Amino acid sequence: MDDLIHIENLTKIYERGEVLALSDVSTRVARGEFLVLLGLSGSGKSTLLRCINRLIEPTAGTIMFDGEDVTRARSRQLRHLRRRMAMIFQQFNLVRRSSVLTNVLSGRLGYTGAAASAVHKFSKQDIADALACLERVGIPEQAYKRADELSGGQQQRVGIARALMQKPVLLMADEPVSALDPATAHSIMQYLEQMNQEDKVTVVTSLHFLSLARRYGARILALKDGEIVFEGSPVEIDKAKFKEIYGEDAEEVESR
Amino acid sequence: MRTPKKSNLVKETPFRDQLDAIKPRFFALMLDWMLWGYVAYAVMYFLQRYWWRYIDFYNKLTLPSWGWPLAVIGTLEMALLSHAFSHSPGIAAARLRLVDENLGSPRFSQRLKRFLAMNLALVAQPVVFALRNRKPSRLLHDSPSTGFMLPFAVIKDALPVKKPRPIYMTYRGIFMAFILVMTFWLGLHIAQIEFSVLAEGWDYTAKILGELLDVRLNHLFVDVNAKGLLFSIAYFMLETIFMALFATVMGVLVAFPLSFLAARNIMGFGTVGWGIYLVMRFLFNAIRSIESMLLAIVFAVWVGFGNPYAGSLALFIHTIAALGKLFSEQVEAVDPGPMEAMFATGARRWQVVLYGVVPQVMPSFLAFSLYRWDINIRMATVIAFVGGGGIGTLIRYFKGEVGRIPDAWGQVGGVILVIAIVIWLMDYISGRIRERIV
Repeated sequence: MDDLIHIENLTKIYERGEVLALSDVSTRVARGEFLVLLGLSGSGKSTLLRCINRLIEPTAGTIMFDGEDVTRARSRQLRHLRRRMAMIFQQFNLVRRSSVLTNVLSGRLGYTGAAASAVHKFSKQDIADALACLERVGIPEQAYKRADELSGGQQQRVGIARALMQKPVLLMADEPVSALDPATAHSIMQYLEQMNQEDKVTVVTSLHFLSLARRYGARILALKDGEIVFEGSPVEIDKAKFKEIYGEDAEEVESR
Repeated sequence: MRTPKKSNLVKETPFRDQLDAIKPRFFALMLDWMLWGYVAYAVMYFLQRYWWRYIDFYNKLTLPSWGWPLAVIGTLEMALLSHAFSHSPGIAAARLRLVDENLGSPRFSQRLKRFLAMNLALVAQPVVFALRNRKPSRLLHDSPSTGFMLPFAVIKDALPVKKPRPIYMTYRGIFMAFILVMTFWLGLHIAQIEFSVLAEGWDYTAKILGELLDVRLNHLFVDVNAKGLLFSIAYFMLETIFMALFATVMGVLVAFPLSFLAARNIMGFGTVGWGIYLVMRFLFNAIRSIESMLLAIVFAVWVGFGNPYAGSLALFIHTIAALGKLFSEQVEAVDPGPMEAMFATGARRWQVVLYGVVPQVMPSFLAFSLYRWDINIRMATVIAFVGGGGIGTLIRYFKGEVGRIPDAWGQVGGVILVIAIVIWLMDYISGRIRERIV
């Protein structure tokens, strides 16, 4: 099988409070896969995602991305690796005071030359691309509004458009729908699914709800206290597995 | 608690002598330990504040778990070292002196021996207590041996088990109140605050005040045609405003790029960046601590006394430091989310600053700049007193004319009135603009 990501013995210890966020995690992500990370808050999902693009520095272990060692990459190489992996966030992480278009264009910064970006000048091609991306996520008419004028669902779409601008190989999503209502959540998840199926982008997303994971995930990786407790297809998760992931007291909540 | 009878204590005189001999040494050691503790605390504070070990968004460095015990033991060792090898502050305070058997200065080997012996005593004493399996209080009376731990036993035995009193009922509370009152009283004397003086000087002051309030505005647009001063109040006011404008605009232009170099969340990624950050912070703090009046003295000598250029430069320098500090604090307070998102797209650090940070800080930067302009105008009105130029020049001039021209005080009053009106106007306008922005 052709692996895109190859994680070996990944460990992350946060100094403050000495929290063991990830403990010896090893896994592979196949090219074109839709992988869902499950787990309670604090189980290490976000840390795992951020270790892949090194927004968080791993304590130990290696991560191979497309045959390159992310953990050893120096600044320039790391930037070039990051260009190929896009990320969307729970809190959208848009620049609230900038226009939607500028936010989308900022996905292109990694490719933009020094002089051009210093004077806020993007190429005509980039601007056309950005508008096309906004078109694709269904909000072309919002392009010149300020980002904080948009609703939560629209903001996350801007986040997706920004990710699309990178023309990524990998899309990482950190709880992309936790801040949204169920209906909006599904529409956002469908964009991720679309990217996965039409653009052949590998998707790794963390989710809270098992129902969403079952609906969209091709494979599920469940974390608990920084360790992998389950790895397999969604149908394999029965009541016993569910309790193992979420703890004894948990009841399954539906999100339609 | 067992308290031995008085007769018992008298019998143990040798031991009490020993104890009395130990007390100052113990006191000296504690004092040294405390001093080294302060040093260690300062070091740790700076480590914790300025040292990141990992390039993360979320975790700042804190001391590892072994850090604090290391600090405790380390400071104690430093205290022992300074005890044995120098005339430490503790020893000095206890009026002791380290001597050899001939009352001369001990040699290095003797000092080393003493250092090791003190270490041994510290380690051995608890072990001895543990092995004997006795309460320290009993040990105090039963076996009067030497050692550092003995005073602990005394303290422990004497510890009262009572309901604590409210602080104003305790000796400590009363003493604290006494100290505070004394400090204030002393302050009154040092600052020479005497209300009777106010009454004595009133008659003369009232006369001057009257003249001052008899405002003369005949030089508002008409030149002050004497002593080579060929300018009007309006002209000097304009000069003052433009001095402030120059200082503010140039100050903002310089402080803007520098403030990012002094922001921790932007520079805290590597050793070089960290170094720049520390240097910038130091420079800002150092320059900020010099008032612009003092800077103006220097510049007045440099470019000429009474030249508005001198005042402008002084205000400019002060503005850089003051705004640089304020700006960098704003940069440090930005939402890290957008920065994180942009780093994730593979953007360079300065691109992240330009697209992720600048839009966020722009409104507060503008507000602070306007506020600074306000302050600069105020400063520019008085900076002439040290030769900085501006409208203060006229106040100085007319005050010098008191006694020579009859309405000198009235002229001063006119200048002050114009200053007050202009400052109030500027304050109002910049306040309104700031309201709009934020």
